[in-house]
Amino acid sequence: MGQNRNEPYVVKDIAGKLGQGFLRNPLTAVLGIVILALGWIALTTMPREEDPQIAISGGGIIVAMPGATPLEVENIISKPLEKKLREIQGIQHVYSISQNNVGIVNVMYYIGENREDSNLKLYDKVMQNMDEMPKGVMQPLIKPFDIDIDVPILTFAFYQTPDSKLSLVQFNEKLRDLRYKINGIPNVAKTTLYGDHKEQFNVEVDMGKLSAYHLSMGQIMQAIKQLAVNVPEVKGKTKDKKIVMFGVSNAINGIEDIKRTMVANYMGSPIYLRDVAKVSNGIDKQNFQNVDFIFRANNDKSQPFSKTIPQVTLAVSKLAGTNAVFVAKDVLKMVEEHKEEFKKLGIEYTETRNYGERANHAVDELMHHLIITILIIAIMLVFALGWRESLIVTFSVPAILAITLFIAYMTGQTINRITLFAFLLSLGLLVDAAIIVIENIHRHLHSEGADKREMGEILIEATDEVGAPTNIATLAIIMTMVPMAFVGGMMGSFMKPIPYNVPVALFASLVVAYIFTPYLSLKLLKKPKANEHYDMENNPYGICEPCLNDEDKDEDKNNESNKKGEK
Amino acid sequence: MKKLENFVFWILQSKFRKAMIIILTIIAFFASLLMFPTKAVKARMLPGKSATTYSVYVDTPTGSSIEQTKKVTTCVTDILRKEKEILNMSTFYGQGIPLDYAGLVKGSAMKRTENVAEISVNLTPIHEREEPSFLMTSRLRPIIKSSCESIIPGTTIRMIEQPAGPPTLASIVLEVHGDNLKHIRKLSVEVANILANTKNLVDVDVMADDIYKKYKLIPDIEKIARSGLGIEQVNNILYLAFEGMAIATKNSANSSVQIPIFLVLSDKTKELSNQSADAIRSKLTSLNLMNKKGMMVPLTEVVNIVQVDSNPSIMHKDLERTINVTAETDNVSQVYPLLDAREKMMEYFKKDYNVETAPFSTYMFDLILTDKKTGEKFLLRWDGEMKVTLDTFRDLGAAFIAALVLIFFLLVIYYKSFALSGIILGGSFLSLIGVIVGHWVADQVTVNTFFLTATSLIGFIALMGISSRNSLLLIDFAMGLINEEGMEKKRAIAHASATRATPIFLTAIAIILGSALLASDPIFGGLGVALISGTVAAVFVSLLFVPVLMDNASALVKGKEEQ
Repeated sequence: MGQNRNEPYVVKDIAGKLGQGFLRNPLTAVLGIVILALGWIALTTMPREEDPQIAISGGGIIVAMPGATPLEVENIISKPLEKKLREIQGIQHVYSISQNNVGIVNVMYYIGENREDSNLKLYDKVMQNMDEMPKGVMQPLIKPFDIDIDVPILTFAFYQTPDSKLSLVQFNEKLRDLRYKINGIPNVAKTTLYGDHKEQFNVEVDMGKLSAYHLSMGQIMQAIKQLAVNVPEVKGKTKDKKIVMFGVSNAINGIEDIKRTMVANYMGSPIYLRDVAKVSNGIDKQNFQNVDFIFRANNDKSQPFSKTIPQVTLAVSKLAGTNAVFVAKDVLKMVEEHKEEFKKLGIEYTETRNYGERANHAVDELMHHLIITILIIAIMLVFALGWRESLIVTFSVPAILAITLFIAYMTGQTINRITLFAFLLSLGLLVDAAIIVIENIHRHLHSEGADKREMGEILIEATDEVGAPTNIATLAIIMTMVPMAFVGGMMGSFMKPIPYNVPVALFASLVVAYIFTPYLSLKLLKKPKANEHYDMENNPYGICEPCLNDEDKDEDKNNESNKKGEK
Repeated sequence: MKKLENFVFWILQSKFRKAMIIILTIIAFFASLLMFPTKAVKARMLPGKSATTYSVYVDTPTGSSIEQTKKVTTCVTDILRKEKEILNMSTFYGQGIPLDYAGLVKGSAMKRTENVAEISVNLTPIHEREEPSFLMTSRLRPIIKSSCESIIPGTTIRMIEQPAGPPTLASIVLEVHGDNLKHIRKLSVEVANILANTKNLVDVDVMADDIYKKYKLIPDIEKIARSGLGIEQVNNILYLAFEGMAIATKNSANSSVQIPIFLVLSDKTKELSNQSADAIRSKLTSLNLMNKKGMMVPLTEVVNIVQVDSNPSIMHKDLERTINVTAETDNVSQVYPLLDAREKMMEYFKKDYNVETAPFSTYMFDLILTDKKTGEKFLLRWDGEMKVTLDTFRDLGAAFIAALVLIFFLLVIYYKSFALSGIILGGSFLSLIGVIVGHWVADQVTVNTFFLTATSLIGFIALMGISSRNSLLLIDFAMGLINEEGMEKKRAIAHASATRATPIFLTAIAIILGSALLASDPIFGGLGVALISGTVAAVFVSLLFVPVLMDNASALVKGKEEQ
């Protein structure tokens, strides 16, 4: 402070160097635009999701052993398998369920373990120990958990209207066609139908007639099996060595063929299947996994509830790392294309889950909050510093967020609630660097002798002066955030975007404050006229000057005299 | 600003006034800490989140039929039909709903049996609805449970909400570990009873198969051999008759799947008159088997029918036999009901067991029971959200200490003084007063309980940085005044407090305004409140408490001893 103001200022800190380098550089404006553009690109193309991805890896091994009791399964399957799996590194817990006929061993890796590696390790361990498999046990099934693929982002409930002419089988067939088409959409992973039914010839044998005709179930089974055989065609050759193809066709071509199957002879007359059983072309009646639906028309809450009707739910999941919003949009478009066709056939649908929309909604709402918060801070700064200064600080916020967002995009993160909360959290912190720099510029511009000096030099000096303490202070905040990245468990993974993004945002806030604040000050701020400068002694910040009325100054004098008196 | 400067100067001049400030601060600090044991501020990992969907899990006793399960779900949907804010409901029989985050860890995808069903309920959009989903489930739960669980005795109905944060198996999971299968079964039932009778705990469920009566057909080996049959044949025919089998398929050009030919007894003829062994015997007499010679042998001739108990599945966790008892909390923190239930358990098991408590760790609530008669050991382990909470708080605590150490080193490097660095750290630690009081105030003004959550802790950690920066700039400024301008120490400190007050207020307002919108969010409300109230406390601490400490630190004056 006690410097000679006529000598050129010597830059001491990185802050001043950055400021100097970019102050009169025409590329600075281009850089600003590029940063904002990159931020915009990141914002529009980054995958959006509601909650951040948590790398939960694990898997299940299912071993069937028909006829074994739970205790047998425990001893023969679960215990040895658990022991072996415990050898894998990175496994947190091993669970097992020993039931009648089957043993299931589930493993959970520590949160954050690499999913591909974990799956491989699990598979490897089971395969290595195949030689120790007990007798009478079926091939083990290894099923890794895959959350991305297993959690659908979209579900639709399809149902038939009362006047629909389609049979249940045809209805299901239509949905299977649609499902096949949806599978073709890019980034769609798994599609599942819940409550769907397949076509099936049902042969329901009447037990009474069975005993009356003196028949066994085994005979009926044999009779049908003998007819329903698919065999490849055979090749025959003519005299002139030409090929003639011929083959035995499946004797069953329709329901009538099954009905006409001869089961046995009883007292000299043939017994057909239709005599002892009801044969129908229907659905898989043994499948009890039905789905029912109760809804209000048009999702309008003033409408009454419908009756309970059967439905088929189509669930669609996306590939990992893809944008739920885009995938959901594409799938919705495909389904809507079929709306008219389906309506004619008497099929209607209701969207029962849309994570894409939910993610989009959550992200948009938070973006909204972010903008409101920026505006509130800008308004506060207008009162505290003046509108030009406020404008400069307000510009720095989108620039900082753009840099942070782009870096997040480059490092493979997604936009989710936690990322945006990290931004909201850092918002209060990241305007500080800009405020500190602009405040110092403001103070210097209004200080004595400012009118005699060159504008650029004042800006550089003001920026450089606060550099060191601002660096240390920002570093202190960054250091509080960094250890959070090492918090383990579900919660740690869930909160990861905060320690990842807040330090980046704070660092970006320093860079932006040092590069763009002096640059924009040069363009926007003007030196006050000579007589307008503030009194550096009594009010170095130049804030609230009208408050310093005469009364205060009188008190000031009194105090000073008191002080002298004490001494 | 002059007034503030004079006020600070006035305080610094008297030893008594300085002592008062320090004592008042310490009292405030411990008074705010006391809000934990007195439950004025309650802790929880994450609060409830209002969502547009929730699900209802229906579990009828093991061995129940799909028709029985359907009866219960119909009862549930009939009650839900009266709700105005429900748009649609899908009931999935014998399977879970399409997987969601809650179902992921609750074993929803593993459901395959006739005794389970899940109902997915979609509500009107959050902004068009006054009642949050977690209050709705809390209101409906007693109604649904009292009227529908009694239809099939042994049924449990659970209302599952979307988790606000990472999903867990249940809020409270009590694992009963032990070798004796029958004994851990008994213990788990006793534990479940205690949990069910604890206030604020709902949806208590013992995760074990129910034991039910079933019949075993014991083949008479001699008779089977004599009549020229095989046991496999007997098995196959029984399965074919009652469960049915796809015995052949037909390919089709019109259908995307092969059409199976499914053989089974007709529903009417395979129906049993009642659940007795006689009914089975009379049914089986009309089922014949054909032996190798082509002769018919009635099935009842070669088997004996015996009634047995079903074999429940055996669960292991980390190679130990375990039965899980789960419970959900009814819109409250799980910590307090857990402690209540634990207290009751220690009382209850005292008669028959030696009860030991576990050493301090994140499993610190565990109870070790030793049977007084047999000497068998059992472990009651608390897992679920509680464990995750403790682990998270432990990790965040460690992160917090690491942050403290890092800042301290940074400051020591900058100032080359342990005393000054200590002042800055001490000052920033005191923002905890604001965080706790802020939560108490937020709890008073909001309708629901406002919990101190994991996000509050994150806010507190961030605050450390913010308030240490305030102190840092203050000390920097005062040092400049003393060492460069040669100002008297007390006056310099007072002057520094006054001039730094403006930027401290300015940045504080920026943080408060920035966090205001956070405070209304269910999950990050804790963070918002922590930042707002902590910043307010930090301002007071930086402007009043830190100057007092600074006055006592000699390192402020470079190269000189205190006057």
